[in-house]
Amino acid sequence: MDQFVNTLFNGVSLSSIILLTSLGLAITFGLMRVINMAHGEFVMIGAYTTYVVQEIFNKYLPESMRDIYYFAAIPAAFFVTFLLGSLLEKLVIRRLYGREIDSLLATWGISLILQQAARSIFGTQGVNVNAPSFLNGGITIGGCTFSYNRLFIILMVALCLFLVWLIMYKSNFGKQMRAVMQNRTMAQCMGINSRKVDNITFAIGSGLAGIAGCSVALLGSIDSTVGQSYIVNSFMAVVLGGVGKLLGTVIGSTIIGSASIFTENYTSSTIAKAIVLLIVIIFLQKRPQGLFVIKSRNLDE
Amino acid sequence: MSNVKHTDDYVLEINNISVSFDGFYALTDVKTKVKRNTVHFFIGPNGAGKTTLLDIICAKTKPTAGTVIFHPKDKEPIRLTGMKEYKIVQEGVGRKFQVPSVFVNLTVTENMILSLKGHKGILDSIFRKPSEEDMTNIHDTLKRVGLEDRADARAGSLAHGQKQWLEIAMQLLQKPEIIMLDEPAAGMGKPETFKTGEILKEIKKECTIIVIEHDMDFVKQAADIVTVLHEGKMLMEGNINDVLADKTVQAVYLGRGGE
Amino acid sequence: MKFIKKQGGNICFALIVIVLALMPLFLNAGLLSGSSTVLFLGKCIAFAIVAIGLDLIWGYTGILSLGHGLYFALGGYAMAMYLKLQETGGNITDFMHIGGLTELPLMWKPFQYFPVTLIMIILVPSLVAYIIGYFIFKNRVKGVYFSIISQALTWAAYSIFIALSTYTNGNVGITEIKTVFGSIKGSAHRTEMFKLFYVALFILVLIYALAKFLVNRKFGKLLIAIRDGENRTYFSGYQVSRYKTFIYVLSAAIAGIAGAIFVNFNGSITPSQMTISYSITMVIWVAVGGRGTIIGAVIGAFLINLCEYNLSSGSMVEIWQYIIGAVFCITIIFFKGGIVGIVKEQLPALFHKLKGKKSSAETVKEAQ
Repeated sequence: MDQFVNTLFNGVSLSSIILLTSLGLAITFGLMRVINMAHGEFVMIGAYTTYVVQEIFNKYLPESMRDIYYFAAIPAAFFVTFLLGSLLEKLVIRRLYGREIDSLLATWGISLILQQAARSIFGTQGVNVNAPSFLNGGITIGGCTFSYNRLFIILMVALCLFLVWLIMYKSNFGKQMRAVMQNRTMAQCMGINSRKVDNITFAIGSGLAGIAGCSVALLGSIDSTVGQSYIVNSFMAVVLGGVGKLLGTVIGSTIIGSASIFTENYTSSTIAKAIVLLIVIIFLQKRPQGLFVIKSRNLDE
Repeated sequence: MSNVKHTDDYVLEINNISVSFDGFYALTDVKTKVKRNTVHFFIGPNGAGKTTLLDIICAKTKPTAGTVIFHPKDKEPIRLTGMKEYKIVQEGVGRKFQVPSVFVNLTVTENMILSLKGHKGILDSIFRKPSEEDMTNIHDTLKRVGLEDRADARAGSLAHGQKQWLEIAMQLLQKPEIIMLDEPAAGMGKPETFKTGEILKEIKKECTIIVIEHDMDFVKQAADIVTVLHEGKMLMEGNINDVLADKTVQAVYLGRGGE
Repeated sequence: MKFIKKQGGNICFALIVIVLALMPLFLNAGLLSGSSTVLFLGKCIAFAIVAIGLDLIWGYTGILSLGHGLYFALGGYAMAMYLKLQETGGNITDFMHIGGLTELPLMWKPFQYFPVTLIMIILVPSLVAYIIGYFIFKNRVKGVYFSIISQALTWAAYSIFIALSTYTNGNVGITEIKTVFGSIKGSAHRTEMFKLFYVALFILVLIYALAKFLVNRKFGKLLIAIRDGENRTYFSGYQVSRYKTFIYVLSAAIAGIAGAIFVNFNGSITPSQMTISYSITMVIWVAVGGRGTIIGAVIGAFLINLCEYNLSSGSMVEIWQYIIGAVFCITIIFFKGGIVGIVKEQLPALFHKLKGKKSSAETVKEAQ
């Protein structure tokens, strides 16, 4: 029983990390149909931002106050990646709407540049972020230990999800955003500045990657390729859930995350992930559009 | 005896077709028959379900209920519902989509070569060159639609109307028994539309043509039989004059200034 | 003029082949500093071959595979396993020993024999590609979905490959191997090196000729048709999925051959050749050279690797990454046709425009 609860907790924890890195993709890929291969690099930038904020706090603040760095790091990571995302949209993505495969390739070029930039600035050695002291340890219920930093990540995902839902479905901007994504020309006719909406939407997606970077920083050392290890799973989560559905991404991440953990009971973790991906690919043969299908009458998608 | 002859006259039977998208019925209980060697028009206001009907005939969309039966010449009838689309094409039912969809990066002749009947396998496509007969056939067909002097032009460089004619020529080359055309005159000027009508009248000698169209002058020029659809249901069927005279049709369609 | 326009690609390819064929002579004449240049050009030949395969599937058919590194590596490993067994005399290798094996595993056994190895170099990538392609294309997975799935597959294959380190030597790969002609190190073995080089060059010519033959037949037109309008091609009565599977398998086989050549010149193979990023690097060659032209793939593979070879030593390593990232990005956004596109379309257009401006300026003058 304890074993089971532990596995379940690890599953939820891994799912939440995948979800956090997928949320941004669900927006840029799902809504805007842009395949941002540099998404992983935004995660990396978020992680490095956390590291930089920590270093600044370590330098200028008394020891007792250092722990609060993390609360400064989250908005900092969001804003840095938000701004970079906005810039990327203006310079590159804007020219590639409707050219999905080209957007994939061009952003790969960007990701090469960003990775090299990280190496130039921070070196090839990985750097570490010290989790704030209140996240050390965990609570033990029965025979199960729930570590605080994993609980914290789960909480953060829930919060992000709630905020995204709020923005997309409850705010005025969300209405404009959905209008533009569904029918660009019509939205323009109704006086919506679609360029601005595109820009902010993409920036929000990137900002979410930054927040994901914050939590990734808690899990291990940070180097220029840290984002790459998450990106494959995230793309698969979005595709599995059905492109364009927020709920689909949540469920897609959960399936991939928990299936990986459960398979890990029988084999090593890399093989487990590989097997899960293969199963997902086989499943997608049956339902190429993913779990949640948006019916459309478009002739050639 | 006369009964047998009667069914022979029909090339396509549409039996009680209904289709729903997420509970919305795009077509309800549509049934009609298409006579061999006629130009059969389906008209109706936007959203009447005309394109959906074509989608069903060529198996792009699955109907919720009903069947489509194809009666090839001198062969057993074939049930089209549930077949793969490339099989349907091979049986002799061709379709031209609303948006001109010639292969823009190939020349007119190359477009035509791809449309030749038979030899669709990979090995044939690598090792078999089109025969002399095929090339003469291509040339003649291009002549019928007036494109013989553009044979080596890139299809992407053709004018809109010319692309439509090229597509019709590509259909003809497959020697289909039925050609389905989705708004062939859309975006055409008067002279081009008229020429399209003349082309249709010419080719119906060899096959049956099903057309969706809005342009009433075009319908008047080329139609043998007209079926009026409205909100997914069949409103009436008959020759163009009867249809134009019908009060209901005028109310739902023509009254809205459908010119 | 018309001849150059029509045969430009082939003329260009002939020039490249002639220059390459002269390289060993240059080396003998002392015009090159050392044999490393020839070895490097040998690798470039392998890259050009895989790029041709990639161009067939991406440039012509519009299917972007982010996993061709996998097929490249499969061919490479097949070759490397044979060469390693030559070294050990058919006995088990050190890493198997460390992994606890006492006998040569079944999967290594066929690679004791050269003819079998040659078959496996083509068969293994083809078979893997067939299984993947058959299901994916039959189920009409296309566009970016295919790319994303191919990326995930590559990643999964890579992980499993590394995990099976007893059989594959994991991250380290198969190293310290000679070539099919024995050792080519040092000036004493120049003849062997030249033999290897000319064999590779000959294979490049063959593959180029094959690709050109295919794209000039109706088959090639169909690939373009599938790229530009898949549904339309179905409605023309072609079973598109079969064509896609066929070309996917063919390009995987070509990648396998390229991998096998690469191993000979490189002296080792590692799993890094089957990563996603290595696969995309290959796409970069094709994109920069010019997709959908065959010659563009060859030009791109040589040009980028030559630049990298000359630039990425010492302090230039950093800058090289920036350059390649920016060049790729700019190519995709502004120059879809790559270098070949620039030469064939953009330059003439610019020329035309300049000329047009001049003449219009003249007319204005005249009018005044």
